[in-house]
Amino acid sequence: MTHPSEPTIIVDDVSYRYPRTKRYALRHLDLTIHRGEFVAVLGENGAGKSTFCQALNGVVPQSRGGRMRGRIVVGGLDTQQATVAELAQKVGIVLEDPETQLFTTSALSEVAFGPENLGVDPEEILRRARWALKAVGLAGYEDHAPTALSGGQKQRLAIAAALAMHPAVLVLDEATSQLDPMGTVEVFSVVRELNGQYGLTIVMATNKGEQVAQFCDRVLVLHDGELVAQGTPREIFADAELLGRVMIRAPQVSQLATYLEGRDTSLADFPITLDEARQGIVQLIGEAY
Amino acid sequence: MSTLVQYIPGQTAFHRLDPRAKIIFMLLVTGVVFIVQNLWVAGALLLTLILIWSLAGLPMSMLKGLGKAMVGIIAFLFVVQALLYPGETALIRPIIPSRVPLIGGVGKVTLEGILFALLLSLRLLATVIVLPLVTITTPVHLFLLGLVRMGLPYRWAYTTTTALNLIPILQAEANVIADAQRLRAFQVFEKGSFLEKLRAYPALVTPLVIGAMRRAQLMAVAMDSRAFGATRDRTYIQDIRMRAGDWAFIGFSVLYAALAATLNYLIV
Amino acid sequence: MKDNDLAIVVEDLEYVYEPHSLQAIRGINLAVGRGEFVGIVGHNGAGKTTLLKNLVGLLLPTSGRVIVDGLDTRQTTVAELATRVGYVMQNPDQQLFAQTVEEEIAFGPRNLGLAEGEVKGRVQAAIALTGLDAFRQEFPPALAKGDRAKVVIGSVLAMRPDIFVFDEPTTGQDYRGCHQIMQIAHRLHRQGHTVLVVTHDVALVAEYTGRTVVLCQGEVLLDDTTAAVFAQPDMLRRTHVTPPQITQLAQALPRELGLPACALTVEQLGQPIAERARHIAPKQQRAGLLWEGSYSSDC
Repeated sequence: MTHPSEPTIIVDDVSYRYPRTKRYALRHLDLTIHRGEFVAVLGENGAGKSTFCQALNGVVPQSRGGRMRGRIVVGGLDTQQATVAELAQKVGIVLEDPETQLFTTSALSEVAFGPENLGVDPEEILRRARWALKAVGLAGYEDHAPTALSGGQKQRLAIAAALAMHPAVLVLDEATSQLDPMGTVEVFSVVRELNGQYGLTIVMATNKGEQVAQFCDRVLVLHDGELVAQGTPREIFADAELLGRVMIRAPQVSQLATYLEGRDTSLADFPITLDEARQGIVQLIGEAY
Repeated sequence: MSTLVQYIPGQTAFHRLDPRAKIIFMLLVTGVVFIVQNLWVAGALLLTLILIWSLAGLPMSMLKGLGKAMVGIIAFLFVVQALLYPGETALIRPIIPSRVPLIGGVGKVTLEGILFALLLSLRLLATVIVLPLVTITTPVHLFLLGLVRMGLPYRWAYTTTTALNLIPILQAEANVIADAQRLRAFQVFEKGSFLEKLRAYPALVTPLVIGAMRRAQLMAVAMDSRAFGATRDRTYIQDIRMRAGDWAFIGFSVLYAALAATLNYLIV
Repeated sequence: MKDNDLAIVVEDLEYVYEPHSLQAIRGINLAVGRGEFVGIVGHNGAGKTTLLKNLVGLLLPTSGRVIVDGLDTRQTTVAELATRVGYVMQNPDQQLFAQTVEEEIAFGPRNLGLAEGEVKGRVQAAIALTGLDAFRQEFPPALAKGDRAKVVIGSVLAMRPDIFVFDEPTTGQDYRGCHQIMQIAHRLHRQGHTVLVVTHDVALVAEYTGRTVVLCQGEVLLDDTTAAVFAQPDMLRRTHVTPPQITQLAQALPRELGLPACALTVEQLGQPIAERARHIAPKQQRAGLLWEGSYSSDC
């Protein structure tokens, strides 16, 4: 499903602090995200990842209060001018806790909640709901109670609930932090599918280095509210100096390559996946395969 | 694990009533309970509710549980009313003779007082049964729809049902919190004095309240992000329709309430 | 092992949750010696948390028995058991309530009826071990996530148990938080305490524990040294557990390279590779000549 609107995200010198707080959660953020990109946002707890995610659909500052300077434009809408309801149709958000973001009694009604709020025609809502559930691999779960689902299924349901709004951008705010490895893979797979097949732009705050290496086009690194680095996963995970300053978890194979570099040994190409590392080591020490 | 308000699926006629019929029933019963002064009418009201409860296929053990939960308050009521209700028929003579000024008459237990306490208890029990009767037999989203179709603005109806939803969640949280505190040798609720229990409440209540506040904030973000409250013309994928049986039940409820009110005034 | 060398003995434990008759544990036998550092892994619903709750007396066995520090859980109060085994729960927010971190940590010892001097001493020790000195007077719920977790650990420490059980301590924590919490567990282990950690984070299990118990559908699937456990990826797959990436890498490398078949940390694979690479001249590296040295590669 392609979207006619231009989902580019423009963040223009944005600084923000929560109400009654002195410390700025975001400081002079300047960045652009293009249509169809799969972007990961890495950083320590408190770096501003959540704040950034919620700033993309206007919840920050409209629902949370506080002072925001600068502008964020998503899909042509200014996040401080358009209503959160209007923005909800451009940007869908999935939050960290599977429990608190699902509040109805069946998967179908959960997915219908958003379009119902917009006053969409019930027939159309059912169409969207069925499509959304299918897109996340939950077709047939219409009548299941959200509380009976596994963690991974709950988060996929939350994604479906966001999809039903027909957004052009999907933002995931640490959506896999509470999940087991299986659930994490489920969520990343679905998101990759949505990015690849439907062209959805993805912004994902996460700390799962291995999945980022495997799926993401670009990485933004936040630290103390500032954007301290951006680049491809390879560029970021190879940057030993950055990883020394900002404690983010690189894939172990990348940690290995960094370790080796510290001992004057380099693999031909800096690996970020298992296969790359395997090839690199074989090339380094063994018979070329 | 269900609490006293959580929906339990069932197929009885009561379950299948339109939520509006059940809500009207509940409002009428509550209204009658407020005005009833006659012991017999109150007793009959309670019995009817218990009858409907069993017709709806709901577990009697739950009723017992409700009763047990009320025992403390009821005992308190009896003690207070027995001693303080201005009545004439003394069952137990006062400790301090009435002719002593000021504190004379203390300790007198009157028949009127006991009967009044009985009335209050019956009314209390009726009140406490009627809400679960409706919420246990009605799925939350239908309850919500019922309120909305009766004219309540969506936001208000939503707030009401969210509160209902929260009860089982908070109860589960309270259990976890109690366990966590027990793991730090917190035994006050098993073997502490009344005063100690009172002073120890923060250990249970603070995490619960903070948790509820955090939860509320997260829910608010999730709801806003799905355009909650965007338009007055909200649509619904499911709808409810009043059938003959529903109207009949409403008719029955109105008649019953009228009868109870009339008898209440006639039998003084 | 002699009985008083055993911190925990679980005998034929079965546990069924009523009222739905859900059998969470189907017969677990486990013996943990004093001073061991054990990781417990397995799919969601395998019985990990149920097992932990049985260890601390929050749940009593449906059949079988659990002996902790020589005490049968069916005959000991939760409060008494809490002085033998400290259970660090997964969500710190479900117990923090006091006005200050010090008060929070003092809660347990005070419940035990200890003298105020003893309480103060324990609070101080706990704050020192968890690195919370800067936050002594802070309101615990207002702290950052990692610090809240540390406050809970501190309050369990103040009970002075011999055994520590951590339930998913790193879920929702960032890398720094994970590291700090595992370092505390590590410190406790070095002090001689018995430590059990239930977690999904296999990299941390591989790095810190000496023994791993793998649960699957309420039973023990594997119970062996951590290295031996992660050397069996096929078995682990049955319980949806994958070895850490570095271990998978070591397993994927051709054995002719002479590198360890089993690596639990980056260093365990990196060191031999660096060693090996040092002996290969640069132009030989490109030609891809095979190194013929022998290298012990068993775990």
